[in-house]
Amino acid sequence: MSMPSVTDRMPRRAAGVAAGLFGLVGIVVVASLVAGAWPMLGEPRSVANLIGAVWDPLRGRFGMAPFVVGTAAVTLAALLIAVPVALGAAVTVVHQMGALMREWTLRVLAVLTAVPSVVFGWWGLQMVVPWVRNRVGGPGYSLLAAGIVLALMILPTLSLFFAQSLGQVPKVLREGSAALGATADQTLLRVELPVAMPALVNGLVVGLARALGETMAVQMVIGGQTALPRGLADPGATLTTQIFTDITAFPPGTAGHAVLDIMALLLIAAMYVLVRAAERWGGL
Amino acid sequence: MEPKLRVENLSVWYQRQPALKHVTLSVEEGEVLALIGPSGCGKSTFLRTLNRLSEEQVGVRVTGSILLGDLDIHQPQVDVTQIRRRIGMVFQAPNPFPFSIFDNVAYGPRLQGAADPAALRKIVEQSLRQAALWDEVRGKLRRPALALSGGQQQRLCIARALAVNPEVLLMDEPTASLDPLSTAKIEELVGALRGQYTIVMVTHNLRQAARVSDRTAFFLDGTLVEVGPTRQIFTAPQDSRTEQYLTGRFES
Repeated sequence: MSMPSVTDRMPRRAAGVAAGLFGLVGIVVVASLVAGAWPMLGEPRSVANLIGAVWDPLRGRFGMAPFVVGTAAVTLAALLIAVPVALGAAVTVVHQMGALMREWTLRVLAVLTAVPSVVFGWWGLQMVVPWVRNRVGGPGYSLLAAGIVLALMILPTLSLFFAQSLGQVPKVLREGSAALGATADQTLLRVELPVAMPALVNGLVVGLARALGETMAVQMVIGGQTALPRGLADPGATLTTQIFTDITAFPPGTAGHAVLDIMALLLIAAMYVLVRAAERWGGL
Repeated sequence: MEPKLRVENLSVWYQRQPALKHVTLSVEEGEVLALIGPSGCGKSTFLRTLNRLSEEQVGVRVTGSILLGDLDIHQPQVDVTQIRRRIGMVFQAPNPFPFSIFDNVAYGPRLQGAADPAALRKIVEQSLRQAALWDEVRGKLRRPALALSGGQQQRLCIARALAVNPEVLLMDEPTASLDPLSTAKIEELVGALRGQYTIVMVTHNLRQAARVSDRTAFFLDGTLVEVGPTRQIFTAPQDSRTEQYLTGRFES
């Protein structure tokens, strides 16, 4: 009797240790960020400074608004471009393709999800930046260019999730709708999309999280401007790219370093909100 | 009287595999026709060609003709959605949409553009009454359909089919997943709908066929062996294979 229980307990212990370590790392990361950020967060005056629109560290101005706006604009633009295209791709994969074609398309999409972001950034540098410069104006390095590059980057992920979500809608529901005289489009809009909605929202959140956290591809095409952008064709920066840019400029203990810690905390808070949103509206 | 549905020389293939061979059969207006036969005999395939649901599957080929009145429903120029409004279907397992009871019944009328709330309420109530579900769900129409019991869900699906006012109702083993009490209610309902609707019902339950149908058709290996008044099929079948099946000498 004792032998099986010993062999049973080992993997569970290993999993317990792994989970404990994982939790510990998370707590340590957040705690060290909070500790680093505390000198700035503790003071009302510096909080007012933080929510301002002027980023001029040499004069002690640490307004993060340009980066919050940049992150929001770039992420939103990416979603606005990628979501409709991904939905269309998912419908095509699920409903229009034969089995062989579908299998290969899903395989290619899965490979595309793993393309390193620097490749997307490089491609954006050569294709998207000149396109924005010629068609929209400005220097080309812009929030728009970053949005387009991000859209392309999250497109495979979104398409895969959306295709999987639609594919999970039970056949009996589609047939039930068809048997009542629904056209294929009516069945899609009135049954498949509503039924798949929780799963679609999950896919959306995964895509959104990727867009929100992406640094390299964005940094390569966004222009790195720290002034508050006035339009999508303006260059800008995001929370992630600004952390990346200034990480070597502000040694630990300086005010600037504390501000970078606050930016990181903001990103984590945004992720937390996303996860809660997925729990509320998605099937997570 | 002209038959409601006239099926002539109907054959169906899945890829190259024949599923139905040269079936010729008429369904009279207002009757209940039961389709019986062992699993894989083609009776469900037959049912699904009657509303062209068979063509939703890839690689299905149909030859022959199915006349609904004067209309050959398998002609390519015929609008399939039109056909499916005239020929409704109830499935093997209840398949309500994960919406409210009301939205399930209103689904069909809304597809055709019905939007007036008062008119929709009237159609929904009428359909639920016809499906003998009204008394159980009155005042709870906003509740999710999936909260209903299996038997109630199946009657909801019948109400949903009736809401578009079909002429023919196809039922594919509608009680296969239900308990005896719910089954009895569905059978009672079929009896009540007889005359008003033409009903074609696939069943594995021979006693059910005997209880609810006017005529019975026996299928075997993709062919129609015989069709006749239910009493005659069950007491004096013409074909020895029918008799063998009825006396339990086929695996079903």
